[in-house]
Amino acid sequence: MKIEGDYLFNGPRDEIWKLIRDPEVLATALPGTKSLDKVGENEYVGEMNVRVGPVAGLFAGRLVVSNEVPLESLTLTVDGKGSPGFINGTGNVVMIDQGDGTTLMKYEGEVQIGGRLASVGQRLLDSASKSTIRQGLEILNSALQARVAAKTEGREVEYQPPSESRFIAAVAKDMAREVLPASRVIWIVITITIILVIIAAIWIGRS
Amino acid sequence: MTKKYIGKRILRNEDPRLLTGQALFVDDINIPGMYHAAFLRSDYAHARLKSIDVSAARKRPGVIAVYTAEDMGDDWKPGPPLVSPPPTVKDVIFFSRTQVPLVKDKVRHAGEPIAVVIAESRYIAEDAVEDIVVDLEPLKAVADLEKALRADSVLVHDDLESNLAAHMVQVKGDYRRVRDEADLVIKRRIVIDRGAAAAMENRGIVANWDAKSQQLTVWDTTQAPIPIRNGLASRLGLSAHQVRVIAPFLGGGFGPKMMMFYPEEMLIPWIAVKLARPIKWIEDRRENFYATTQEREQIHEVEMALTRDGRILGMSDIFLHDTGAYDPYGLTIPLNTQNHTMGPYDVANYYSEIKVVFTNKIITTPIRGAGRPQGIYIAERLLDIAAKELGIDPIEIRKRNYIPPDAFPYEHGIIDQAFSPLILDSGNYQPVLEKAATLIGYDEFIREEQPRLRAAGRHVGISIVSFIETTGVGPYEGARITVEADGKISVATGVGTQGQGHFTSFAQVVAEQLGVDVRDVHLVTGDTAEFHWGTGTFASRGAVVAGNAIHASAVAVRGKILKLASEILKAPEDELELEGGQVRVADIPQMSISLGELASRANPLRGAVEPGTEPGLEATAYFGPKYGATAFGTHAMILEVDPETMMVEIKRYVVVEDCGTVINPLILEGQIHGGVAMGIGNAYYEKLVYDENAQLLNASLMDYIIPTATEVPRIVVGHQETPSPLNPLGTKGAGEAGTIPVPALFAQALENALPEYNLEILETPLSPNRLFELLKEKEISR
Repeated sequence: MKIEGDYLFNGPRDEIWKLIRDPEVLATALPGTKSLDKVGENEYVGEMNVRVGPVAGLFAGRLVVSNEVPLESLTLTVDGKGSPGFINGTGNVVMIDQGDGTTLMKYEGEVQIGGRLASVGQRLLDSASKSTIRQGLEILNSALQARVAAKTEGREVEYQPPSESRFIAAVAKDMAREVLPASRVIWIVITITIILVIIAAIWIGRS
Repeated sequence: MTKKYIGKRILRNEDPRLLTGQALFVDDINIPGMYHAAFLRSDYAHARLKSIDVSAARKRPGVIAVYTAEDMGDDWKPGPPLVSPPPTVKDVIFFSRTQVPLVKDKVRHAGEPIAVVIAESRYIAEDAVEDIVVDLEPLKAVADLEKALRADSVLVHDDLESNLAAHMVQVKGDYRRVRDEADLVIKRRIVIDRGAAAAMENRGIVANWDAKSQQLTVWDTTQAPIPIRNGLASRLGLSAHQVRVIAPFLGGGFGPKMMMFYPEEMLIPWIAVKLARPIKWIEDRRENFYATTQEREQIHEVEMALTRDGRILGMSDIFLHDTGAYDPYGLTIPLNTQNHTMGPYDVANYYSEIKVVFTNKIITTPIRGAGRPQGIYIAERLLDIAAKELGIDPIEIRKRNYIPPDAFPYEHGIIDQAFSPLILDSGNYQPVLEKAATLIGYDEFIREEQPRLRAAGRHVGISIVSFIETTGVGPYEGARITVEADGKISVATGVGTQGQGHFTSFAQVVAEQLGVDVRDVHLVTGDTAEFHWGTGTFASRGAVVAGNAIHASAVAVRGKILKLASEILKAPEDELELEGGQVRVADIPQMSISLGELASRANPLRGAVEPGTEPGLEATAYFGPKYGATAFGTHAMILEVDPETMMVEIKRYVVVEDCGTVINPLILEGQIHGGVAMGIGNAYYEKLVYDENAQLLNASLMDYIIPTATEVPRIVVGHQETPSPLNPLGTKGAGEAGTIPVPALFAQALENALPEYNLEILETPLSPNRLFELLKEKEISR
């Protein structure tokens, strides 16, 4: 599977560079990450809960950063496996200073996927991975803005990374939009809400 | 002589049991104290097994045992080759590499089993599978047939020089000579991809070792219980009489349940003996995509040389056949392809070269059609192209090339899948084609309906294709028939049953001889304790080989009945008739004796019997044909394509088949209907998609689309009976007749429905997606 895209960060390049080289921040950008530990100069190991459609499970993996040109580019190599299958991949990330205080991130990579993740999750893989990346980058951008604000205003801005469930909900909403037009999503949400209210009412009534 | 039972539309004896849930399937077997198995399977298609740690799994509460290849010790052996290579052909190359029970050194396809957990429940077993820590070093995998034969390809089997599993050439006449003389030579590349059998019931095995009686009982979803019994006995060091294999009702066989031995089929009984406890394993649907064999992938470089008036002078075909990671089934599939590439046509010159290729994909073994659909696809596609180029009507070009009725038996001069000479025993092809054309309303559609619908902007197409089906191969089957004391008839035969209606059609064969109600014939199939000898249900051979064995033993029992009745009724045998469960004197119906009474008299408790007589009214007989019987048929279809969605709607579907004597048209039509449904899947929906790393990308019924009731049309079936001279009943097989020609039929119909694109379809399976792509390619090149 090929992964390709870009993302515009609202902040200077050196700040975003620091962020993506900080495993703790990186871990918050990939919710489901149970741990991400630095084991070498450019090597991390970690565990991550992955869910793609009907396939879910814990992945253990290794992340290696190479070809690093500080502030400009790096290569990420991922090698993970778990009960839902395995992922091997290499990706290149390039940061372009836009000159107006924003930074454009371009990324492209090739990922090999196997096991249940590939065979059962296949139809959702493309949209799930795109959406996961987009949501992750949004979080990084929020973290970035919190840091930038802290610097310029000289005060601590509290940054609360989203919980795993909020992240999954955001990914699901994002994926639903790809399939259904926004207006229909609203109707589905309303319907589900009504059903939940009815169930709650029945339950309260019984107890 | 007019027949009273054979040829009648009799409702199926087995249906009340099947429809009310009273039929036994393997998963219905539950024995007190039974343990359950789950397998750890490789996610990688190609990997070296570095280490495996099962200690955590063994510690999980409820886990009884965990086995790896190492734990099997000397009992770890690759499976026996099911079919050995043909010995009668010159210069054949064949490297036998059979599947292993558990991976020892190297994983060769995704899904290959690495370890098996035995636990108190399947839940615990599945959880314990996740406790196993296995270190696999991924290797580059090879999925593509052509890449696999390149010098720089990774090797599936490290001890071989290349991924070439087999090479074999069969020649008839001199193709090169006629090629030079031909007015037209068509040269094409035809690609056929993979599908699954997708039987409704997955595989399953329950094994029970009774230490006190020293008896192993195995319930197995197999099409071949007797060979499984023989193989298990030899592997486990038991006598064949200590092993009882029962193949109860099966939710579909279609060929993959004839693979021997699946790793699980060897392991579960082995573990049952080791632990002296009943063990159950039922394959789940996802496992079925990885652990059950698949078929059809081939790449052909074909040529057909013709005269100006559309007569085939010769054909040449060089093809690659994908056997997957192992080749236990030998050359059966590519030989079948080789035998069917000439179709029903009189082809005097033929060159066919098979290259069998190892890849890191799941093993291929026969699936309903078994190499025949590929051959027929080629014959019919090339004739369609020739008809277009020469401006000849597709029906006319077929008539010009059929083997004429007076040419039978027609000897091809090459060998078939059973290594016997390929001889087409009997046939009369043209009337079948004409009947199909009439039933579909071919001329009228072309003349009136199609122009009218086209003018209204509709994309409707018609197609008509023919096929042969080699069926009923040897070596033999047998049957034992007993008249019981209550007058009912018991029949036992070795073949297994997977929904073919054996309980009825075989009962009709018996009733024809013994004059009993079909419902009073009680049949047992697929239980090795009931009948000791046989091979199995495959190659559309049940009605031919087992059917004629049953006929032979019914004839023998009839002889015994007449002899004894003649003595008791004091009337000559030729004046007796068997009717309504009675033997009576033809002219004096009140002089009669019931079969039950006769059976009791044949088995007296006191008194002397004449030397040489056998007790009871019972006989065992066998039947083995000289060579296989070849059926013939024609399918015709009218379909409409929605140009927006590329979905198709089949408007009319006609099958006219000639499978010799028809035992029960109702059952035959059911077989045809089911076969067509499978063929529609093969042609337009079902395709197993592998990526370049040999990962299967659609291993669920969510993504692997099988036809449902809405995709399967009403099918009109017409019959013609040209009896086979090779067996007394005159039967030929029909199990695969519905499936074989459907991809070729779809290709012709789609081309016909979309004339403005001038499509030439050279691949199968298609799909709405793929058709869309083909049309886009045409649009771009226009």
